Amino acid sequence: MAAIIVLILFGIAILIMAAYGYKISAKTAEDYMLAGRTIGVVVMFFFILFAVSSSWTFYGYPGHLYLHGPAYIYFIWGSVAGFAALYMFLGPRLWAVARLNRYISPVEVLAERYDSKFLRLILSLMILAFIVPYVGIQPLGVGLGFKALLGLPIIVGALYTVVLLVILVLLGGMRIVAWVNIFLGSIYASALLGSLIWGVNRFFPGGLAEAAQNLMANNPELLSAPGPLGRYSPVIIGGTMVVGLMAFSWPHIVIGVMTARDKMLFKWFPILIFIFGGVFFYTMPFIWGSLIAPVIMPGVTDVKAADSIVQTVITQFFPKWFSIYVLMGVIAAAVSTAAVQLMTSSVIFARDLIQGFIKPDASDIQIIKWARWAVVGIVILSLVISIRYTTAMALYLTEVTIPGFAQWGPALVGGILWRRGTREGALVGTLAGLVYLIAGLIYRPLLFGLHPVMPTVIVNILLYVIVSFLTPAPSEEIQSRFFDEVDEFLEAG
Amino acid sequence: MREMLKHNAGRVFLIVLFLSIVGMLFVTRFFSHKIVVFGWITLPLFSGLIFVAVWLVAYLIYFFKFWPYR
Repeated sequence: MAAIIVLILFGIAILIMAAYGYKISAKTAEDYMLAGRTIGVVVMFFFILFAVSSSWTFYGYPGHLYLHGPAYIYFIWGSVAGFAALYMFLGPRLWAVARLNRYISPVEVLAERYDSKFLRLILSLMILAFIVPYVGIQPLGVGLGFKALLGLPIIVGALYTVVLLVILVLLGGMRIVAWVNIFLGSIYASALLGSLIWGVNRFFPGGLAEAAQNLMANNPELLSAPGPLGRYSPVIIGGTMVVGLMAFSWPHIVIGVMTARDKMLFKWFPILIFIFGGVFFYTMPFIWGSLIAPVIMPGVTDVKAADSIVQTVITQFFPKWFSIYVLMGVIAAAVSTAAVQLMTSSVIFARDLIQGFIKPDASDIQIIKWARWAVVGIVILSLVISIRYTTAMALYLTEVTIPGFAQWGPALVGGILWRRGTREGALVGTLAGLVYLIAGLIYRPLLFGLHPVMPTVIVNILLYVIVSFLTPAPSEEIQSRFFDEVDEFLEAG
Repeated sequence: MREMLKHNAGRVFLIVLFLSIVGMLFVTRFFSHKIVVFGWITLPLFSGLIFVAVWLVAYLIYFFKFWPYR
């Protein structure tokens, strides 16, 4: 009963923040969708770190480490570099061109850059197709927590999360989603850190070295590659890092760049990514999955059971009140990620599909209305898909979602950094990569035993570059708007 | 990134980051050794911490001393 009261209060706190966001919002499309481009460096850090750190960091990530040993952390190292690269290399120019031309969606930026409505349609549909199922995984993650802790059916936790999500995004828009991520992120980080300290003190008086010694004696394969199941050869580890590097192309992270208040954010932001993201935050679930859980609860071989291993340990061995706090942390992680993904999806739906194709003269009020309807539709669709096609979280993220997001990477990087990139190059590269990915996921031998990202993105990049060189350069007007004016703006202090 | 390619400091910065990625890929061949640093840090974690430290130092030097838009 106490748990249910705490969860209700937690939900009410989020809803109050959403209502406050609605009250102070400017009711313009730019304000609702991009927080009025006013996000500073600290809010941006929480916004992005906890947009990235979904319930996957509590379930899928430690679960995979538990089964396969420590090499999977290379995905995190790649991701840290990928996020930093987004803010160091692409961020200033993407932010500047969007601000100068009042672009609201990153897809809109590329459609204008390549002067192609067809590309806008392709990119919008592609991003929505890959992001929607991932949104649905978050409520299901909470459902797992509800089941483990309270014994309630998974759907109860999923619906609780969906209600919070829909109200938060409908009322608050991007600004409150970003602000609420400070609250949610603090809960999640403290739950992870607290559970880690508690677990080490309770089970390993000699510290983490004692846990490592135990593994060395009983299950030494968990301390090295390729891991107990032989999965992580050097080639696979390298591929895993490359997959992580593609994090710069995650659309819900890219759109965050466009909410920045000024260019100084790009100078300060990476320091937070490296120190608090790379060294501190992601090391916690790593220690849980690769050291603590395998010693406390060895022998789990089922993938889905491994996904829940941290939750299971906490439920069985920790005090009840602490388990409730950790569940709040999981809800916080799920809501913080899914809210940003939902916002991104609704922006693309309303701005790129509705305003871009159906109602070009739509007012701000109408666009916001479409975005809100999209939120409801997307959340229902995503939940249905993820319930119907359940799969292990770690695998879904790295095998399907990331390769899908990666297919707009070459057009994005080329569009922002390379004058010579052309519409035909972007279209051919993106379509070829996408078709190859779908074919490869259906018939795996087409991928030659490689991770889906590798061959598909290589084909995508090659075609983008070759076709760009074979077709006429972009017009002078486009080159001026996307390069010369951006240079002047960024150099102007 | 365009601005980084226009001066030596930027080019050195990019080379350092690139070499660190190559280094990360190179060291994977040693991960079959069951070695723990400081009693508990496995090699994939240790190499990543070094990697992040290299990126952090390179970024601090470049962005606070040489970045044209600073």
